[in-house]
Amino acid sequence: MSAALLTVEGLRVGFRSAYGGMVEAVRGVDFSVAPGEAVGIVGESGSGKSLSMLAVMRLLGASAGATGGRVIFDGEDLLAADEKRMRALRGRDIAMVFQDPQSSLNPALTIGRQITDVVRAHRDVSTGEARRIAAEALESVGIRDAGRRLAAYPHEFSGGMRQRALIAMAIACRPRLLIADEPTTALDVTVQAQIVDLIAELRRELGLAVVFISHNLQLVAEIVDRVVVMYGGKVVEDGPVEAIERAPRHPYTRLLKACVPSLTGPVGPLTAIEGTPPRLGRLPVGCPFSPRCPDAAESCGHQMPPLIAEAGHSTACWRPR
Amino acid sequence: MTGPILSLRGVSKSFPQGGLLDRLLGRDGRLVALDDVSLDVMRGDVVGIVGESGSGKSTLAGLAVGLARPTSGDVLLDGQSMAELMRDHAGPWRRRVQMVFQDTSSALNPRKSVARCLGETLALRGVPKAQRESEIAELLTLVGLGPEIGPRLPHELSGGQRQRIGLARALAMKPEVLIADEPVSALDVSLQAQVINLLSRLTRELSLTLLFISHDLALVRTLCSRIVVMREGEIVEQGPCLDVLGRPQHPYTQALLAAVPKGLAGRRSPLPARADAAAPETREDIHGAA
Repeated sequence: MSAALLTVEGLRVGFRSAYGGMVEAVRGVDFSVAPGEAVGIVGESGSGKSLSMLAVMRLLGASAGATGGRVIFDGEDLLAADEKRMRALRGRDIAMVFQDPQSSLNPALTIGRQITDVVRAHRDVSTGEARRIAAEALESVGIRDAGRRLAAYPHEFSGGMRQRALIAMAIACRPRLLIADEPTTALDVTVQAQIVDLIAELRRELGLAVVFISHNLQLVAEIVDRVVVMYGGKVVEDGPVEAIERAPRHPYTRLLKACVPSLTGPVGPLTAIEGTPPRLGRLPVGCPFSPRCPDAAESCGHQMPPLIAEAGHSTACWRPR
Repeated sequence: MTGPILSLRGVSKSFPQGGLLDRLLGRDGRLVALDDVSLDVMRGDVVGIVGESGSGKSTLAGLAVGLARPTSGDVLLDGQSMAELMRDHAGPWRRRVQMVFQDTSSALNPRKSVARCLGETLALRGVPKAQRESEIAELLTLVGLGPEIGPRLPHELSGGQRQRIGLARALAMKPEVLIADEPVSALDVSLQAQVINLLSRLTRELSLTLLFISHDLALVRTLCSRIVVMREGEIVEQGPCLDVLGRPQHPYTQALLAAVPKGLAGRRSPLPARADAAAPETREDIHGAA
């Protein structure tokens, strides 16, 4: 593998528990993103997918923090960087788009002001130049009449347009990595398709690397090159999208695919994954999926299976197929 | 009985729009959420109602369950008009039509245990106190939970368990019609499948009529016998589910189907080369091009 843009090694994230002590939610996660590559991180709530990326951005609140591992971005360990350095990187080199476009925007400031603020924080340009860059960014995310739209407030935009505005804000400084955390979950399905198209197009045009976090494997498979599947704070499978889609090795990945019904084929009862997603602090010592896994042997719960790579496709399972 | 169990006859619903100032100045308009909608639901039908936000599907659900009255037109239950059945109070209607909501955390009172929540619903139906405990246990079993859930508070349950309690509470009234407004859209996919399978089993076992409101066409295809496609307050297409989704006639239905994520089949960009990806551009190239 050539030099990765982002390498996450043995990342652990914990929460300070109300009863003292730490509860680990991300328990040693490894993956990397090459320059220009699009990687999907897939998992259910509580899998640690969003927390891992918030830790990469160093955006965890006071009650949580990275407790171990390294996050190497372009040769630099972000977990060791000071806050000033992080502020310089965020928005300029790494940008993030969140799930809820409503709460990500300041309702009291115009869209233009919010984009130009980001531009001026990172580039030594005049107000006029910053507005020109902001208009250009807005234009590039498909908002027509962008120059005039800069004066609009968030409430004047629809949900889809707000998410476009946030993507414009994210790409205004031409970052090398865009992290999109469930960017379409709050949107209608037709708008979701547009936003996914947009991210794919921006990636081609700007050579952006993208980390796309989602619970929807079908959606992720439309735009990413590689899929990282997480469960219980661990990476359980990591491979090329084609392999994950056509020949998933981990039982969880297989079931995750099977429980989403398709628009074609026979209609019948859905494949369900029995039980509930794991709760923090109540994870088994061994494979986190073993309590719900139809293929599990009793021994699966005793020891954590290592992530074993075979032809660029890794799986952490004692009994892979 | 051959008539429809639930009918909407030329139903419109509009809401006042604009702020207080607009209203004082007489500048107010009305937002038409449902526009002259007619729909017949036969006993035992499982009807999927699909559309995007603003299509009027949740307004329709609210009208069917009696949480709102139509601005014009009438809603009929078993041939009896809503206006008539609800003249004195909503009880007779609500006893027969129940609802399951999307947001499981706000649909349950956070300070009441599961048993108390179900017990109060049973009391409304007039179940004597002595029988309530056994009925609560029955209801919990019906939705795939154990009696040990009874003393728990909503926050001690997972989203999937809370949705089952929402369902048990609706079933406690022994309704003929169940309205489920996006009941699984807040759940993880593995739990979605569990709840959908449960709904499917219950509608069959209890001969329920179900209105399943959803934006997920694939789920509707799995669960429903009929489908109603709504857009901007109007029904644009309806019919047997597999017919409509297999051969959609209206361009809007076609657009909705086209937007559903399809995995590799729906790829926006070519699959990466097997071994080594194309050399990426450097940051300098990108800035140079700008």
